[in-house]
Amino acid sequence: MKLLLVEDEPLLLEEMESYLTEQGYRCERATTFFEGQEKLHLYHYDLVVLDITIPGGSGLGLLQQFKLDHKNTGVLIVSAKNSLDDKVSGLQLGADDYITKPFHMEELNARIFALLRRRSFNGENQIRIDDLSINMAHKSVTVAGQPLTLTKKEYELLLYFVINKNRVVSRQSIAEHLWGDHYDMADNYDAVYVHTMNLRKKIAALSSTDYVKTVHGMGYKWSSQ
Amino acid sequence: MKLLQKTTRDYLIASISILIITGAALFAMLRYEVGAEMNEQLELLADELFEQIRAGNFNSAPMSVIGKASPDQPEGNVFSDSMVYDRIQKETEEYHVLKQTRQLDLGRYQVTVMTSHIGWDRYYLSIFFIFSLEALLLTGSGIIINYYINKNVLRPFLGNLRKVQQFSVSSTEPLQLNESSITEFIELNRTLKEMTDRSRKEYLALREFTENASHEIQTPLSIIQSKLDRMSQLEISEQMAGYIVQAKSGVDRLSKMNRSLLLLAKLDNKAFTGQHPVELQETIQQQLSNMEELFESRQIKLTSACSAATVRADPYLVETLISNLLSNALRYTTPGGRVDIGLADRTLTVSNSGPELQFAPERIFERFTKNDSNSRSTGLGLAIVREICLFYNWPVRYAYAGGIHPGGIHRFEIEFKQ
Repeated sequence: MKLLLVEDEPLLLEEMESYLTEQGYRCERATTFFEGQEKLHLYHYDLVVLDITIPGGSGLGLLQQFKLDHKNTGVLIVSAKNSLDDKVSGLQLGADDYITKPFHMEELNARIFALLRRRSFNGENQIRIDDLSINMAHKSVTVAGQPLTLTKKEYELLLYFVINKNRVVSRQSIAEHLWGDHYDMADNYDAVYVHTMNLRKKIAALSSTDYVKTVHGMGYKWSSQ
Repeated sequence: MKLLQKTTRDYLIASISILIITGAALFAMLRYEVGAEMNEQLELLADELFEQIRAGNFNSAPMSVIGKASPDQPEGNVFSDSMVYDRIQKETEEYHVLKQTRQLDLGRYQVTVMTSHIGWDRYYLSIFFIFSLEALLLTGSGIIINYYINKNVLRPFLGNLRKVQQFSVSSTEPLQLNESSITEFIELNRTLKEMTDRSRKEYLALREFTENASHEIQTPLSIIQSKLDRMSQLEISEQMAGYIVQAKSGVDRLSKMNRSLLLLAKLDNKAFTGQHPVELQETIQQQLSNMEELFESRQIKLTSACSAATVRADPYLVETLISNLLSNALRYTTPGGRVDIGLADRTLTVSNSGPELQFAPERIFERFTKNDSNSRSTGLGLAIVREICLFYNWPVRYAYAGGIHPGGIHRFEIEFKQ
């Protein structure tokens, strides 16, 4: 899968590039409107991560231009302005999803994963990892061939861990993923803890390995064998 | 007092004073002039009579008496007024009388001549009548002129006044004022226009600044957050991990606060214009199902009884309103307590058990007001609730009642008026 990252902030771009490359994507970068325009004109990408505020023009303008001839390219808008207008006009112009800064890399990765799965016509609905098999069409999971019964949130949590495997996922990141990024949401670390514990117990009942590791109170990590 | 009333009143007072003064002056002058003229006339008459006496004619003319005077009577003129009966009009009338005594060769004679004059009271009356008429006409014309000014000259001014009253710096259109031909009003319009244009420009700049500042803050926050995430991937000591967690929670709070402040600024600026029908029941259920595990994990008993209701509003704001109320209930309910949500007659009530506030209840919706124990809260959640309610004119109430539950019951009520 080939991604184009359009982002003017070098430190953030570097972080996005390194994490997404680790995840097995081929990433290219553009830091200005014109660079983005040129690359989108010359090459084909499966997905563009597009910052709205870039030097030389607006990300929305760029979106408008290339959506005309590249309908198959997915677009994920990144914006620092949590403005509904931007969101609405972005989605109207053909963007597939919208994420607000500051975001967690795991969240970005999960969004990209979901977006690419939705867009690919021969959608791969099955994830196999270790002795787990996740069917995303039916939202069902088996561990070592035996069905695993999960609540909705536990399923979302498992998927989040698996998509971001081998990475320490912070409690903030999990809480935001599961319960949304509300304005004055309490820090729901207790709930994150409870859900993670339940998930671990359920998997441990069917598998010999505890894949989810607690990392120094910072968060959790799916350690793939 | 209106400008017109004031000017009319001043004008009337001034004109009545002037009329009184000029009336009195006119009366005094007339009295002096006419009196002098009458005296001259009587003296001439007396002189003519004395001529007759010298010629030996002692027949007195009408309205005159000729008589011999005693020798000790002094020579000279004596003027006086006298009442004489008018046979024709059958009433006594006032006459001006001259008694002149002269020493002639024939002896000392006194001649009495008189002439009628209109009584001074008649003069008073005529002058009073004329001047009253004058005052009446002046007042009438004054009112008519003022009415005309009101209708034509002041109308653009009053129209502009209304426009300025309704003008808001956040409106999309600049202020448009009615033209006037009066120099002062032209000057006023120019000043008003300059003033409103300047405040609009400054307001827009401020709004742009708020947006830009928020943008500029979010990007460095993103960098800090992503680098902290990166650091957590490394092999680090327990101690280091603790520092990273602390730093992350600070970044998290800052970023939430920044977004909340931006939302508040937008509400202040009335930047939300979208109006869609929103099913309240549906929105509440959605939020509740998203958050029910959070209540569960704190052993909070959650009940809800909602009837259907639709409001016309921005769906995003309604969602924020409800999620903020629920977050507040979640945060301030002591574990083991209860939260009850009800929607009936377009009124949403959220009650939760919990200890009494550490501050005055009326401050609960103010920005950055929070219990000391909750340092993680941004203290903006309920401020946002109030601003959203203000934006749509929905009455919002808070009440606390001590009761059977530990601490008591906090109750929030929002009436979704149509």
